[in-house]
Amino acid sequence: MRRRRLKTLLAEQPAPMVHASGGRDRWSDPLPAAPVDKPGALRAALGEVLDPELPISLVELGLVYGVDFADGTARVDLTFTATACPCMDFIKQDVRDRIGSEPWVDSVEINEVWDPPWTTARISEAGRSKLGRLGVGV
Amino acid sequence: MTTPTPLSRHILTLADTKRLLGIRYSDWILGSPSIETGIAASSMAQDEWGHARLLYAMLKKQGFDPFEVEHTRPAGRYYSAPALDRPFADWADFTAAVVVVDGALSVALESFAAGDFALARTRVPKMLAEEEYHLQFGSAWFARLADAGGDAQARLHESAMAMLPSTLAWLLPGDDVYDDLVAEGRVWAAEQVREGCRNRLAATLARAGITLADLEPDRNGWDPERRRGPGAPGEEAVERARGDRNRDLFVE
Repeated sequence: MRRRRLKTLLAEQPAPMVHASGGRDRWSDPLPAAPVDKPGALRAALGEVLDPELPISLVELGLVYGVDFADGTARVDLTFTATACPCMDFIKQDVRDRIGSEPWVDSVEINEVWDPPWTTARISEAGRSKLGRLGVGV
Repeated sequence: MTTPTPLSRHILTLADTKRLLGIRYSDWILGSPSIETGIAASSMAQDEWGHARLLYAMLKKQGFDPFEVEHTRPAGRYYSAPALDRPFADWADFTAAVVVVDGALSVALESFAAGDFALARTRVPKMLAEEEYHLQFGSAWFARLADAGGDAQARLHESAMAMLPSTLAWLLPGDDVYDDLVAEGRVWAAEQVREGCRNRLAATLARAGITLADLEPDRNGWDPERRRGPGAPGEEAVERARGDRNRDLFVE
């Protein structure tokens, strides 16, 4: 019980400011078998991919607009905080690497979307809470 | 290159102007009135190039090769607003361009987003959201220079007046291409563009004693192919726009 509470507490903390690209040094191992709910598993995996500038995940930041899986291909609808986001290529590579590490995923397609436009209102409560602990108000 | 349609020519008009505007803004990242204004110039340059990239990408489904469009055209085939042909001489030019050229571009984008071209409807709203910061920055600096009086006000007035007639013609070409775009439901009718222009520019320009309603578009020497006045952006700027120095390093 005590261990579980500690794990929950740690999950609520923002990631360390210094981490490997996309937080890959904290990524889980690939699932041992193909999950039944593949889109759900993909979303969970994306929940581990950290934004390069803010220590919260792409999901918490509200950048993931859709996830789908068909015929071995994972499709991710992804937006960015700005049209000229300097981290676009890093983020796409991190997404490809994290999802592509799952053995049941043959290929990854990233669909860049801009509708609806991203604003800070799309940051999740969990993301807001983590950023707040770092003194970042959104 | 694919024969341009009214839609693809309109996209080129917007994209080329965004790209050139980004270059002109970037010239002032260092050398602007303060560190903060330099950072603003950097952010705005970044935005303009981001918008240009999304606009150029729209041409792909129009049968164009985006690489060819972005990296091979000579200056004489740019559709950009003439006010950006030369570098800004000073901060008054910069400020006037944020209000006049960037402002006119935003009106054109509002018009495009309201039309029935799906890529414009889904991509342009994000651009317009980013442009709100340009509007605030430009309006604040315009008011600051206008209210200063003396040489500052005179230079600002001179800069804005030099840019306005050709930019109004660029925004409202009054040509067959524009009529086709309206008929196809791609953009606002001319009167709605004028209203958008009034809403966005009139009050700010009035701070410098400029009455927008008194101005006429300058269509002297009109180039019907590029849908702009005579001339072309300077070669040095186009070399930067095309990425000539990095040609051997392209990896895509």
